[in-house]
Amino acid sequence: MKPDILFAMRRFRLIFALIAVFAAVPLAFAASNSADVAHLHVQLVFPNQNLNAGAPVNAGLYFKLESGWHVYWKNAGDSGEPPRVQWTLPKGISATPMQFPAPQRLPLGPLMDFGYEDEVLFPFTVQAAAAAKPGPAVLHAKVDWLVCREVCIPGKAELDQNVNVVSRAQMVNLISPSDQELWNRLAKALPKALPSPDTAVFQPTPTGFRLAITTGQRETQAEFFPEDEDVLDNPAPQTVTPTATGLVLELKKDANLTTNPAQLKGVLELAGGRNYEIVATPGAVAPPPAAPTFSFAALASTVFFAFLGGLLLNLMPCVFPVLFLKGLALVQSGAEERHKLRMHGLVYTAGILVSFWVLVAVLLGLRAAGATLGWGFQFQSPVFLALMAALLFFLGLSLAGQFDIGLTLTSAGGSLAAKQGYAGSFFTGVLAVIVATPCTAPFMGAAIGYALAQPAAVTFAIFTALALGLAAPYVALTFHPAWTRVLPKPGAWMDILKQAVSIPIFGTVIWLTWVVAEAYGANLLLALLSIFLLLAIAGWFLGRWPAQRWATLVAALLLLTALVACITTPRELAEAPANSLAQPLSESSAARGAVWQPWSADGVEHALAAGQPVFVDFTASWCLSCQVNERVALSQPEVMKAFGERNVALFKADWTREDPAITQALTALGRSGVPVYAFYSPGENNPRLLPQVLTPGIVLDAINKLPTASATPAPAAPSKQQ
Amino acid sequence: MKSLSCLAGAAALAAAFMPVAAGAQAVVGSPAPNFTATDSHGQTHSLSEYRGKYVVLEWHNQGCPYTRKHYVSGNMQSLQKEWTAKGVVWFTVISSAPGQQGYVTDAEENAYLEQMHAAPTAVLMDPEGRLGHLFSAKTTPEMYVIDPEGKLIYEGAIDDRPTPDVSDIKGADNYLNDALMEAMAGKPVAHAYTRSYGCSVKYAY
Repeated sequence: MKPDILFAMRRFRLIFALIAVFAAVPLAFAASNSADVAHLHVQLVFPNQNLNAGAPVNAGLYFKLESGWHVYWKNAGDSGEPPRVQWTLPKGISATPMQFPAPQRLPLGPLMDFGYEDEVLFPFTVQAAAAAKPGPAVLHAKVDWLVCREVCIPGKAELDQNVNVVSRAQMVNLISPSDQELWNRLAKALPKALPSPDTAVFQPTPTGFRLAITTGQRETQAEFFPEDEDVLDNPAPQTVTPTATGLVLELKKDANLTTNPAQLKGVLELAGGRNYEIVATPGAVAPPPAAPTFSFAALASTVFFAFLGGLLLNLMPCVFPVLFLKGLALVQSGAEERHKLRMHGLVYTAGILVSFWVLVAVLLGLRAAGATLGWGFQFQSPVFLALMAALLFFLGLSLAGQFDIGLTLTSAGGSLAAKQGYAGSFFTGVLAVIVATPCTAPFMGAAIGYALAQPAAVTFAIFTALALGLAAPYVALTFHPAWTRVLPKPGAWMDILKQAVSIPIFGTVIWLTWVVAEAYGANLLLALLSIFLLLAIAGWFLGRWPAQRWATLVAALLLLTALVACITTPRELAEAPANSLAQPLSESSAARGAVWQPWSADGVEHALAAGQPVFVDFTASWCLSCQVNERVALSQPEVMKAFGERNVALFKADWTREDPAITQALTALGRSGVPVYAFYSPGENNPRLLPQVLTPGIVLDAINKLPTASATPAPAAPSKQQ
Repeated sequence: MKSLSCLAGAAALAAAFMPVAAGAQAVVGSPAPNFTATDSHGQTHSLSEYRGKYVVLEWHNQGCPYTRKHYVSGNMQSLQKEWTAKGVVWFTVISSAPGQQGYVTDAEENAYLEQMHAAPTAVLMDPEGRLGHLFSAKTTPEMYVIDPEGKLIYEGAIDDRPTPDVSDIKGADNYLNDALMEAMAGKPVAHAYTRSYGCSVKYAY
């Protein structure tokens, strides 16, 4: 074929294609209330075809789409246009604008559109004025839309709806069952207003917006559809972080957005088809502490350290003898038993794994149940504090050598381990975990605290690594029994190690006792110390007359008394709250120019209104890092001086005891626990949050970044936004 | 216990908020990313060659009804002629992937240009969507204006009537004309970023 002929043919084909496109643009002029045009059916829906004068009726514009085709939401996303309707109505009849049900995301390669597939109904209402002329009337709608699959086809239709206007006196309905069915089924997809106590707050971030929604329950699934075009980067994934009372969404903004919107408007779709109309106002939204910070490297190193931690548990005096005795048994075993022994090693591992998994399940259950409480909440319970202090004190006594519980249990484990059978091995594994607990509680506490703040899968991974670490040495020995020789023999060094471990335990007891005294006063302190005495007496009986039934009984009675005291005395004695933190600190710091006041929302408002910058220290006496931060950073002379120079109003929100107002303030900041350090400057809506670990430099930096104008107090009200 | 969990949390947070590297993407008010592309006659063009001139980018898809609105009416052609006569460089860009609507060969495009009496400086063939992604082009038509310093000064719709109807061209506020006239008069562009309308760019997916 000669090139020019080919060219002419191509050209002909092209023109033909263009004609085809033109022909495909559908124009329906039907004197009917519906039209079937390219790729869709469009119809006016009037469940009640009588217009009772003065009473609005529900109506809708309905689209039924061919598979794969879609029409658009009011914000169509990266491309597309929403359907539009233009009415020609008889005198006295009016129609409200169409409302748009919640859309779905329609990805199109790198682009993201918002719209509807399959079918959609856009509701509106029509009303005949009280004075409208009764009788038949024709409602004329000019509808146009854009329907797309990969390609887009604009469409138009003119639809006529016949209705009867009924006078006020008569008031009769004429129900169309098919229209009613459509309306009832589809109109409920309209988003609802966010119920009144629930809130929507957003905070601009360098890359976009952090949107916090409270719904009163943990939300794990959400999509936000912005009403305004050009605010968000539509295709960017929206990261959902569930919080105790709702969720936080990380949204990416449109690269060309220059000024942040005053409000973030749109529709939020939650799990279970719940849709809400959102008008978010600016505010502080902190990144939630439980954010799934899923860096693979971080997880890998955490898992590695958990494994190491598990290995170390083997050296604990409670566990080591078990390992050693079993190791000796291995050396004495004949070669033909080796295979069987390996199996035992694996079963032992399984026993440990299962015990840890049970622990994980319990923890996750507790977390789900305590979802509305911040981590650390248990320290707000005096009963918990007393029990914890008593338990640790008793364990400390045992470790220090007053009596043996750990080792008695261990030898029980040894005899159990001596029993043959895989069940024996399995329970030896279980026992190793249980027996280890007295020695490992402080270490496990740290791991549990960390794991609680993580997603379930991470928690699971950490505990699995811990379990494998604990099991590893014994399993290694079953494979290479000769290695038993390398193990140091149990002996005096174990006793020394055991006694040394009691020192940090007693340290912890001192801390807990101080917390109790700080928060609940001297009476409870007295009770707690008396409980310690009871425990010491019980320990004496156990140690002085070991394995004597009567002595064990006396000790058990004493322990029971202590337990009852732990549970009952805090309730009776703790009613006098010592407002402990604010007072002593304000006295000590008054000399340096700045004064800590007890926190209240009003106080903060007041100071801001007076033009003062505000610093809030959310703290609790049981929170160690809070105490450390206060000592090493906040109370340093140069920091207090800088606070004074910039006339910063200092507030201390003491969360040592449950305080709903403080809990609420923390939630508003997106946090569920302390410490939190919030810096408010007048005229700015959102506080700056400082890190959870403070240095004087961090605080001084934040003070220096305050706008200079606020250094002198101005009596003016804060201006909103910049 | 508490302090450890706090520390661990702080470390985890710090890791989560490491700065996210941004790609070299076109943003209004910033220098436009440089590109090199081949036109429908096989010639190569780099944006940097045209420093000192205004450059218009027009995303195009001859099968899209919104693009057709401006070609059937002759609106786009007259804009091309008017502005290229004033020294503006006008690139029509086709980012449709092979097999997608609007994908054309060089010969097909040249035939179309002749038939439509279109007069861009050149038509840049972008079947891999490189330019499209570089400028985040979303729809056809979508217009970009780059000033003589190489700064992107307009991105968005061709005008303020997002319809496929030829009758809507008359009386529309043409954002492209506004941007070029304001910039040439030394004034800031009033509507520097608008939502473009039309069909989605048919990238490969």
